[in-house]
Amino acid sequence: MAIKIDYVARETASNLFRNVTLTLASVLTVVVSLTLFGSALLLREGVENANDRFKGGIEFIVYLQPTITEDQKASIERALDENPEVREATFVDQDATYEEFKRLFANSPQLVETVSPEILPPSFRVAPVTKDPAVVQALGDTFAAKPGVYEVVFAFEVVQRIQETFNKIGVRFLAAAVLLLVAAFMLIFNTIRVAMFARRREIEVMKLVGATNWFIRVPFIVEGIIQALLGAAVAVGFMTFLVRPFIDELSEDRVLPIFQGFVVTDANLLTTNLLVVGIAVAIGAIGSAVAVSRFLDV
Amino acid sequence: MIKLENVTKTYKGEVVALRNASLEINRGEFVFLVGASGSGKSTFLRLINREEHPEQGKIYVAGKDIGALPSWKVPHLRRNIGSIFQDFKLLANKTVYENVAFALEVIGRPRHVVKTQVPAILELVGLGKKMSNFPNELSGGEQQRVSIARAFVNRPLILLADEPTGNLDPATSVGIMRLLDRINRTGTTVVMATHDRSIVDTMRRRVIELDRGSIIRDQSRGVYE
Repeated sequence: MAIKIDYVARETASNLFRNVTLTLASVLTVVVSLTLFGSALLLREGVENANDRFKGGIEFIVYLQPTITEDQKASIERALDENPEVREATFVDQDATYEEFKRLFANSPQLVETVSPEILPPSFRVAPVTKDPAVVQALGDTFAAKPGVYEVVFAFEVVQRIQETFNKIGVRFLAAAVLLLVAAFMLIFNTIRVAMFARRREIEVMKLVGATNWFIRVPFIVEGIIQALLGAAVAVGFMTFLVRPFIDELSEDRVLPIFQGFVVTDANLLTTNLLVVGIAVAIGAIGSAVAVSRFLDV
Repeated sequence: MIKLENVTKTYKGEVVALRNASLEINRGEFVFLVGASGSGKSTFLRLINREEHPEQGKIYVAGKDIGALPSWKVPHLRRNIGSIFQDFKLLANKTVYENVAFALEVIGRPRHVVKTQVPAILELVGLGKKMSNFPNELSGGEQQRVSIARAFVNRPLILLADEPTGNLDPATSVGIMRLLDRINRTGTTVVMATHDRSIVDTMRRRVIELDRGSIIRDQSRGVYE
């Protein structure tokens, strides 16, 4: 049976306005829960991006002066090869560094424009035999003073600090977000229940004259989804215009060494926003569907 | 049109609303259900509409065993059955026209059908001039006419009436009964539960009397008692 769109739109709109306070409560809860949830995800993406260059057991990076001579470079390479504590050392040249830079700073095209491969430091990505921070630190320090070395960056300084921070913030965010999502679910459930109670006379007549169950249900389910979507829209706005700039600011804070790359790319933001909208649709649809199936019998 | 075979219905296994009831109502009949309050009249009507399920026995409506009907088909059963009540069950926030149109809209009738059928049926029940009034602006008799219009606008095979004159004065009741009689003459089967002695005695139609759930009398051209 065809359900007319204008009918559903009219019914849903009048339901939403009939119950403004309850609707607002649901929407706001969805906003807060999804913003927290999305922020936790964005932070994690940032961590992942920042840690990208430390993948594959790399514990420290020896950044070289862009102006390093071939001799100096060869001597460092030899020292790395001969050191029994070094399991593997990979050279990353200026072009590859530039590619990495472009990836990390994809959000700041102006910054990328000001940079060219020649001014970027080439580097050795070093995977030591052990992961013991004391040993790694001592090992890295032996290279810090060599001629032609710009800086030695340790994973445990960067990765672990970011991860610790993330674990502290992210886990709490996620826990709060999950609790609030449950609250949002129950609020939507209750809003729909109240909406159905307010319209019980209409529903009674509809059943009496033979309206199908779906015809009666659909406006309420659409109402639940719209509440959640309104919340998701605000949450997406918050994440795009508040959370992401904040994360970007963190990375510009210079608290971490160069190339910290603690950034959120447009793609990260898009997937997170899509996920947030998807979750909103799910809790709106399920919350209202449960209410509808529990309180609308044939 | 309606057939009951050994139908028993109890509430919570204690109160017997209908006990081993068997009967058949033919197409186009006009049947009064009489009996004291709690004798099972309303349950009888609700069973035909499948608002209730019998514990035992089978109910056939238009040749179909409605107990075997899947629940998604129940709305289609109800489209063939109009219902009116003592308390009218009109929607207070809708006009007369909208109340009747609502019944057609929610079963997906196209707009042009609604636009032609609703004024026609309201004309038929004598409310052609009150289409844009709200229910609380009408007398009880007029409200019942609206509810009859709503029940009949879809031309159902059966009209179930649960004490339709229960809230109306005798003169108004006569008008409602004339209307129901007219509807019956179009071929619609009418089953009406009532306490109204004078109506039953004047109309002289088939009378089925219930007493604590049992059929104790079934008489064509009967009287109230």
